[in-house]
Amino acid sequence: MLSRVVFVSGMRSRGPYMLGTGLILYMLSKEIYVINHETIAALTIGAIAVYGIKKFGPDVAAFADKLNEEKVAQFQEVKDHAMSSLVQAIENEKKEQWRVDGRSMLFDAKRNNVAMMLETNYRERLHMVTNEVKRRLDYQIALQNLHRRMELEHMVNWVEKSVISSISPQQEKESIAKCITDLKALAKTTQAKATA
Amino acid sequence: MMVNSFSQFESPVFLTIPLILLALILPWAFYPSRLHDDSSNRTLTLQNWFIGRFAKQLLASSTPKVHLWATLLVSLMLYIISLNLLGMLPYTFTPTTQLSMNMGLAVPLWLATVLVGFRNQPTLSLAHLLPEGTPTLLVPLLIIIETISLLIRPFALGVRLTANLTAGHLLIQLIATASLAFMWIMPAIATLTSILLLLLTLLEIAVAMIQAYVFVLLLSLYLQENS
Repeated sequence: MLSRVVFVSGMRSRGPYMLGTGLILYMLSKEIYVINHETIAALTIGAIAVYGIKKFGPDVAAFADKLNEEKVAQFQEVKDHAMSSLVQAIENEKKEQWRVDGRSMLFDAKRNNVAMMLETNYRERLHMVTNEVKRRLDYQIALQNLHRRMELEHMVNWVEKSVISSISPQQEKESIAKCITDLKALAKTTQAKATA
Repeated sequence: MMVNSFSQFESPVFLTIPLILLALILPWAFYPSRLHDDSSNRTLTLQNWFIGRFAKQLLASSTPKVHLWATLLVSLMLYIISLNLLGMLPYTFTPTTQLSMNMGLAVPLWLATVLVGFRNQPTLSLAHLLPEGTPTLLVPLLIIIETISLLIRPFALGVRLTANLTAGHLLIQLIATASLAFMWIMPAIATLTSILLLLLTLLEIAVAMIQAYVFVLLLSLYLQENS
């Protein structure tokens, strides 16, 4: 309670400073603390310490903070790496599951492929068979046509031969004389048409 | 009471309790162990960074056999540097100003490096006593000189640390006394003396750190030589 009175009275806490000053003056005046060479040495060391801390303090603190940051960043990196690898593993697993789902579709597609190949093969063979049969039938037709034509030619030749052989020489002379007189008449008419 | 200038280096005893033990154990309080790797305490972060950098730098160019000594060397460095720097504060006692303590640190460690060398590779350790390419006439003389140089190493280690710190503390005390004495007579001279004291204190802080480093560095060099 006394400390609260001493230390907290007033707007600014002047209490501790009053206590400090009073103590120092008391110890000096009563020669409880004697000023000797160590005092000067203490003042020197104190000045050096204060100067050093004021000048290099913030830099050293920033350096220490940087070291701490690096340490935390290292741990964080390990954690992030572990998490990302786990997430990647989950994605891979999901992909594998999707692949397994699609396996039946794959089988269907393969089955369809095989069926198509069989069908194609069958159709090719059918086509080949049809072509061969057609070729053989065409051959037979051509053979028949050839037969008929040969028969026709033979018949025409026989008819010509028999007709020619049936014409007697007397008839031949007569027909030739008639042809000549016809031609002369024709020539005259043509000449008369030309001059007219 | 100031009997002579060296009375500041007397081992303090209070009611027959040797206080040097307290002074020797005090640095332990400044290096808490790493409780959690994720602790973001600035002081601990800086300490760990410093210890890591120092260990790497000290043992970078050495074989894995030397790395067995890493804990010892790094903790020795931290101990000596904290003892030295704490001694810079007023009214403190610096245990490393006592020759007994420094010899107690130097002799066993130096002896350990020599014995490790002789045990693991005796021929190579003995070969260090003769540098390469010496003329044949000088060989006996050089062996004697190198042996003496080998045997004087622990004394050099211990005395170097003691002398540097003792001299520093002594100078600080004398110049501070002079500054105090001049303050009431000639304040101008007192100011100059205070500036001198300031520079000297800066030097002493540097010397405190450098001497600790040199101690440990030389030990690691002796070890690498013999490993």
